[in-house]
Amino acid sequence: MSELALPVAISFDAFTSLGFWISVGIFAGTFTIFTLGLQLNVGYTGIFNFGQAGFMAIGAYSMAILVTDKGMNFWVSLPIAILITMGFGLIVGLPSLRLRADYLAITTIAASEAIRLTALNARDLTGGAQGIFGFGDSWDEVADSIEGWLEWLGWSNPDNLAPLLIVVWGVALLLTLTLSKAQRTPWGRVLRAVREDEDAARALGKNAFAYKLQSLMIAAALGAIAGFFLAVNLAFVVPDSFGPTFTFLGYAVLVLGGLTSYWGVAVGAIILQTVLEGLRFLELPISEVKVSALRFVILGLVLIGLMAFRPQGMFGKREEMVIGD
Amino acid sequence: MTDAARREPIFEAQGVIKRFGGIAAVDGASMSIDQGSITALIGPNGAGKTTFFNVITGFYKPDRGTATFGGEAVLGRPPYVLARMGMVRTFQITKALSAMPVVDNMMLAAPDQPGEKLRNLITQPGAVRRREAEVHEQAMELLDVFNLAKLAEHYAGTLSGGQRKLLELARALMTRPRLLLLDEPMAGINPTLGRRLLDHMQRLRAEDNVTFLFVEHDMEVVMGHSDRVVVMAQGRVIADGTPDEVRSDQGVIDAYLGGGA
Repeated sequence: MSELALPVAISFDAFTSLGFWISVGIFAGTFTIFTLGLQLNVGYTGIFNFGQAGFMAIGAYSMAILVTDKGMNFWVSLPIAILITMGFGLIVGLPSLRLRADYLAITTIAASEAIRLTALNARDLTGGAQGIFGFGDSWDEVADSIEGWLEWLGWSNPDNLAPLLIVVWGVALLLTLTLSKAQRTPWGRVLRAVREDEDAARALGKNAFAYKLQSLMIAAALGAIAGFFLAVNLAFVVPDSFGPTFTFLGYAVLVLGGLTSYWGVAVGAIILQTVLEGLRFLELPISEVKVSALRFVILGLVLIGLMAFRPQGMFGKREEMVIGD
Repeated sequence: MTDAARREPIFEAQGVIKRFGGIAAVDGASMSIDQGSITALIGPNGAGKTTFFNVITGFYKPDRGTATFGGEAVLGRPPYVLARMGMVRTFQITKALSAMPVVDNMMLAAPDQPGEKLRNLITQPGAVRRREAEVHEQAMELLDVFNLAKLAEHYAGTLSGGQRKLLELARALMTRPRLLLLDEPMAGINPTLGRRLLDHMQRLRAEDNVTFLFVEHDMEVVMGHSDRVVVMAQGRVIADGTPDEVRSDQGVIDAYLGGGA
């Protein structure tokens, strides 16, 4: 028996490493903020935004360019970058939101790819494939003082990514709370009505177009904030980070956590990141590249299974999924 | 009400044309609706009734024509603006907001809720709360009138076809309309519910001076419950008068029986 080595094994070394979990946690927090925007659009407004990665790119690049090129203070650059991104949301939404839902999906994915390809080629502005770095000094100072507090609290020699983990989740929770609360207001009720039936909402005196535009612009702002965290975490901004895959993984988070649940987004993001990163440590008699690709096969199977057996995801409302017209 | 006041038109349309490609679905329709009246709009299938509804409520852009509501030009303005002015429609196929509770369907329709604007949620939360309480009470009262109060917390999608028709009418009333345009309100509901709906119309006209224009195929309903009947065929208005006048109009009979109109 003993000479029959199992072909599959999982090395658990990484799972016990704090650094691994902190890194997973930061990505999960970033994904949470990113996907909150998709939840607002898809789950609560019924508009299919497939360009969230593009908004994230605009946010991250705006910040990086303002800081490194224009010498702007990092903290001042953040709200400005958010406004720029919302402006992009407006530009994308104005022509496409009046049309049927599928046009927005096409327009947003095209806009998102146009942004990424522009970033790749407008070298003078964006540094091309090399990207931009050196914008994070102000953050590093704050991170140092947070590390100081952590030591004061009794964590000797804290991981140098711990401050980012704390801040990203602090922001993610604050945004989740705010959005959940906004959803229960008359404003949120109009959004849901637009999702259910735009013409009915219009016939009852609601400017459906204006609400869809607001929804898209807020999602763009959330994309920008996720972009800041991604940029600070990686310490550089490169076009490759903002491919359409990022948006698709956001949709996977949405399905996992469940439509119409802002809290489900956080849970979905944690599960997605844990599964994707955890599966890296599968030891199979195949090359690492293949293992890496296999992770997405497994993720795909999980999503198919979820769609078949639990279409509402973990926290979505089944009634809202199955009720037809 | 004096005869003169009754004859005051609340809505007038002149020469409305709507083309789809080469076909004029509405081909120069004109009509006027008196304040406080119940007017039936009838006509054979394909006469352009629903298209006319869609044009005057802003869902379709007209190719030509004018329309006024309460003296203001309305043709070509967006639906939500017309609804806020008091010209509110329902749909031939009910548009219940299925995955929302019945009471939310109702509360949504109430006008003047400052909390529908994001900045008011922050600047005047008190006013938003007060209005919500007010609107909730109105919604429950109306649901009670329509025998839907016990279903208030149910998803609208779980209601029967007839209940949805009632909900759609109740919801439209939450907007405090002056002119209600009902597209086949009796279609697909049982006679008991249908009668109740007609009673509501009569009562609303008597108590709140609401004006009605409704599309209907059931001739018994049309002849028994409307003050005036407007007949459309091939995109035009071919007759307009009291039920008795219209009943004996040769052009109407021809249009329905397929004669040369």
